[in-house]
Amino acid sequence: MKISLNWLKEFVDIDMSQEELSHLLTMIGIEVASVMPVACDLDAIIAARILDIKPHPNADCLSLCTIDTGEKQIPVVCGAPNIKKGDIVPLALPGVRLPNGTKIKKGKIRGEVSEGVLLAEDELGLTDDHSGIMILPDASEPGMPITKIISLEDSVLDLELTPNRPDCASVIGIAREIAAATGKTLKRPEPEVNETGPNIEDLTSVTILEREACPRYTAGVVQHIKIGTSPFWMRYRLHLSGIRPVNNIVDVTNYVMLEMGQPLHAFDYDRLEENRIVVKFARQDESFTTLDGQTHNLDQNTLVICDAKQPVALAGIMGGLNSEIYEDTSNILIESAYFDPVIIRRASKRLGISTEASYRFERGADIEGTHIALKRALELISTLAGGSISKGIIDNYPKPYIARPVTLRIDRTNRILGSDLSRETIEGYLKGLNMDVERPDDQNTLVVTPPSFRVDISREADLFEEVARLEGYENIPITIPKIQPATKTDSQEISFGDHIRSVMRGAGFCEVITYSFISPASADMLDIPDSSPLRSFVKILNPLSLDQSVMRTNLIHGLLTVAESNIHRGAAGLKFFELGKVFFHREDNKQPIERMILTAIITGPYQEKTWYCQERMVDFYDIKGALEVFFEGVGIEDFSLAKTDTIPWFDTNISANVSSTGRVVGNIGRLKPDVVKAYNLKNKDFYAFEVDIEALLACIDKNKQFKPFPRFPAVYRDISILVPKGIESAAIVNIIKQHGKDLVESIRIFDLYEGEKIDKAEKAIAFRICYRSKKGTLDGEKINKLHETIIDIIRQETGGKLREG
Amino acid sequence: MKEQLLTLKNKALDELQKIKDVTDIESFKVAYLGKKGQLTALMKQIGKSPPDIRPEIGRLANTIKATISKAIEEKRSEIIASGAGKKEEIIDITLPGRKPLRGHVHPVNTVIREVCSIFSHMGFNVITGPDVELDYYNFEALNLPKDHPARDMQDTFYVSSNVVLRTHTSPIQVRVMEKTPPPVSIIAPGSVYRRDSDVSHTPMFHQVEGLLVDNDVTFGDLKGILTAFIHQMFGSGTKIRFRPSFFPFTEPSAEVDIQCVMCKGKGCRICSHTGWLEILGSGMVDPEVFRSVDYDTELYSGFAFGMGIERIAMLKYGIDDIQLFFKNDIMFLTQF
Repeated sequence: MKISLNWLKEFVDIDMSQEELSHLLTMIGIEVASVMPVACDLDAIIAARILDIKPHPNADCLSLCTIDTGEKQIPVVCGAPNIKKGDIVPLALPGVRLPNGTKIKKGKIRGEVSEGVLLAEDELGLTDDHSGIMILPDASEPGMPITKIISLEDSVLDLELTPNRPDCASVIGIAREIAAATGKTLKRPEPEVNETGPNIEDLTSVTILEREACPRYTAGVVQHIKIGTSPFWMRYRLHLSGIRPVNNIVDVTNYVMLEMGQPLHAFDYDRLEENRIVVKFARQDESFTTLDGQTHNLDQNTLVICDAKQPVALAGIMGGLNSEIYEDTSNILIESAYFDPVIIRRASKRLGISTEASYRFERGADIEGTHIALKRALELISTLAGGSISKGIIDNYPKPYIARPVTLRIDRTNRILGSDLSRETIEGYLKGLNMDVERPDDQNTLVVTPPSFRVDISREADLFEEVARLEGYENIPITIPKIQPATKTDSQEISFGDHIRSVMRGAGFCEVITYSFISPASADMLDIPDSSPLRSFVKILNPLSLDQSVMRTNLIHGLLTVAESNIHRGAAGLKFFELGKVFFHREDNKQPIERMILTAIITGPYQEKTWYCQERMVDFYDIKGALEVFFEGVGIEDFSLAKTDTIPWFDTNISANVSSTGRVVGNIGRLKPDVVKAYNLKNKDFYAFEVDIEALLACIDKNKQFKPFPRFPAVYRDISILVPKGIESAAIVNIIKQHGKDLVESIRIFDLYEGEKIDKAEKAIAFRICYRSKKGTLDGEKINKLHETIIDIIRQETGGKLREG
Repeated sequence: MKEQLLTLKNKALDELQKIKDVTDIESFKVAYLGKKGQLTALMKQIGKSPPDIRPEIGRLANTIKATISKAIEEKRSEIIASGAGKKEEIIDITLPGRKPLRGHVHPVNTVIREVCSIFSHMGFNVITGPDVELDYYNFEALNLPKDHPARDMQDTFYVSSNVVLRTHTSPIQVRVMEKTPPPVSIIAPGSVYRRDSDVSHTPMFHQVEGLLVDNDVTFGDLKGILTAFIHQMFGSGTKIRFRPSFFPFTEPSAEVDIQCVMCKGKGCRICSHTGWLEILGSGMVDPEVFRSVDYDTELYSGFAFGMGIERIAMLKYGIDDIQLFFKNDIMFLTQF
């Protein structure tokens, strides 16, 4: 909310700097986002009198003025239609810079010399008005700076109000807070209304059919008014508050709303059927056009203000086109009502209309303040638009507001705040906030009745905040509580997550974070079959875009998207991982299943060429190696791969499930060329692995124990064996382990050869077997025998043969 | 002959003593023991000596050869051990080293870790909760009934009428209190979602939530714990201010500002010329929240707080664009 500082000063004395005021307001809970000085750069603009106006010889729409600057007479060419001889107007002489940056120069306009520029309000940066040259008061002396003639210099406070304080959404509301915090007196407005018209009862009536939705409706009628433009001072203030001036009547309703916080509405009295008001709910599917020209489809929960026949306004939101004030309006009815916040909020949400009025009503207006606001409006209208005000006002308020007292305990207040405030101090703070405070005999309590506009105060806790605010948060002493040491273990998601991140970082991978919502089209891009659970997306009902409309069931989509953007920015070798949640829809309308998974992808060169190594493109063994390092890092000692064709995005030939302790914990493989292509990444090899964190945790031995060093020496034997390419190394390793009789400690594959020296259908694999016994030093002869036996079995079972040399 | 051999031996050993460089040892070895070496040449002449002393001379020559060889090896080890031997080896120490590959953790997770660890050390338990949350936990149990204007503060993504993407990490408070009697001290990080996307907002971001409930926890305690946190996170000299604000789930509520890290309070673009930066929201747990988890509001009190991780990371690293966290450009990621 933006308000003028000068306006604020009409209701409370402010004898501090703007910085001090900002700090004061911010520290009592009204955050001042900024203070903008306005009209502070207009000292060079002077008042000038128009001595003569002649038509411009070369242009119909221009005139040639002779201007008295106070020092001399100059010619000025002007295009505005509103000026006449004798007017005092603002003038900028050559060399002057206007607020919008324009520098005035002496020049010729269509052949006529012009030695200055007459200015409109918008050119002075005062309002948006450009309908004509600004006319200054007649009494102004030519040559005087205009800032000396009219009060222009001001500052605009931009305030950020919290939703619980609708009472602050007005100039008086803010003045009230300043008064409470500084101990100054609030100067309440006391509108004086000269009622010269007929009795209000003879002019109109208000029938409320929905008492819950509209507990109070106040109205007044003014006849024979003259619609026109509001005076400059009012338009200026509205402009500073960001409200567009319309005409004197509408401007008054807005002005009073800004000043007092009570939204008002003006109807054209003569356009109200039977000149009366009925408050009720709309009919289902009733159509209604608001004054902005938009037509809305109403329902039975929309409260409407009607005349005898039809709706004329959306209650508390916006008036209707059918009863709007227009140029010829001469009789008006002013509404000042209180509507139920929830009713207004629902209608405003459903219709998608949010206005200054709905903002205030849905947070809670002051039910006790409607008539004062109405009087203030009537007072201003009669000043600005003339007319005669009806005798009396309609005040339909069958169930007057009953204030509810709240009991405040002094000891409790101090125990919650950690303060040591006396009953008197607390009483003083609350009274300063216009609360009614009673002191029961019991020394520990105060019975506090908040004013009607403090809709946020109904409980003791609400008063703690008021006391703390007035005491000043900075004055409450800092203490350190004793905290029971944490007895439970931290969330695995976090502690294990941190560990996973550090292992993956050690393995050379770069972590990314992508949005949890993705495009449903990702399912096709990843070649996910129709029946797959990977398609059971959790759908967002109101996504920002289709691209972010379902919760992800995999991380591969996000990673490929990140790879794509990086590659298109010129990156080559990429190693990314993401550790995050995936979501699976559940039919029962409950929360979805959330699972934490880790996915890593690699592509491009493993490392760029350097002085010590050649560039090499990544392959399956790079991703597998990363998986191995990851498993070692998190404490998985044993795992195996089994080929599978169930991972939609992997090449069927290079795709495997990863298992440990008998359960599948993830998968690994190469991405299908078609999938890669779908991400606009043609001819790139991508490898990935995915691990389910919960499944992984179940496989980790949490009782990791130290293993003593072996006591006896090891014996090493090498074998190189030729086998058909289809034989997997693991088959041979398993034979060695199985027949090694507990003596095989480890097996290392130290060479692999495929090439010209051997049959094309064969490969040569070389193993170094480490034999060691836990019981004693091995007998070389015995080991040779065992080694021979193992070789024989390998030959028999794989059809392999020993490779010589 | 015999004398010649002995002279050569002494000469060789003297010469060897003077050698200080491994490469010189090699040439020394060639000079004496090589195919055309001095000792080799002398030994070739042994055959010409008289047969009666020939075996003796031969033995002597072999002994001398062994002595010199042994001395050479000793000298070599000595030089290598002293480290002096390589002084002539020229390497380019400015060539880049053979670097093991190094990865990077996303700055958001680094900051989450840092925040959680500060609170862990104070005795808070790290807890997590679901991203897709019931309306009840995200709003209602936190004193945000349907039709409450404060729901506007957080534009919400809906999955169904009663299931939302959590708009803050606060529902974790309720879930924990539902299951655990006081005292409770938790810190809860996670991703949160708001239907808001522009230059300074991303529809997903991260928060850390904290909660302490016990007998007689005060607003002064809230100030104490958060001051300790901020001093650890941003430095012990960081100026802090607590000012009144509004959150439906706390009463009194306090916004916590730190002195602008960029301009040190003088006022700059980052702090909108106020000299202060908002970094966390906090307050005393509202009695309504305690009521929804059946805590006795007369016996217990507590405070809660929440902070945006991206915002803290932006201040800490001087990042001026929140979108960078989710674009995952390697030029960004590899800086952390």
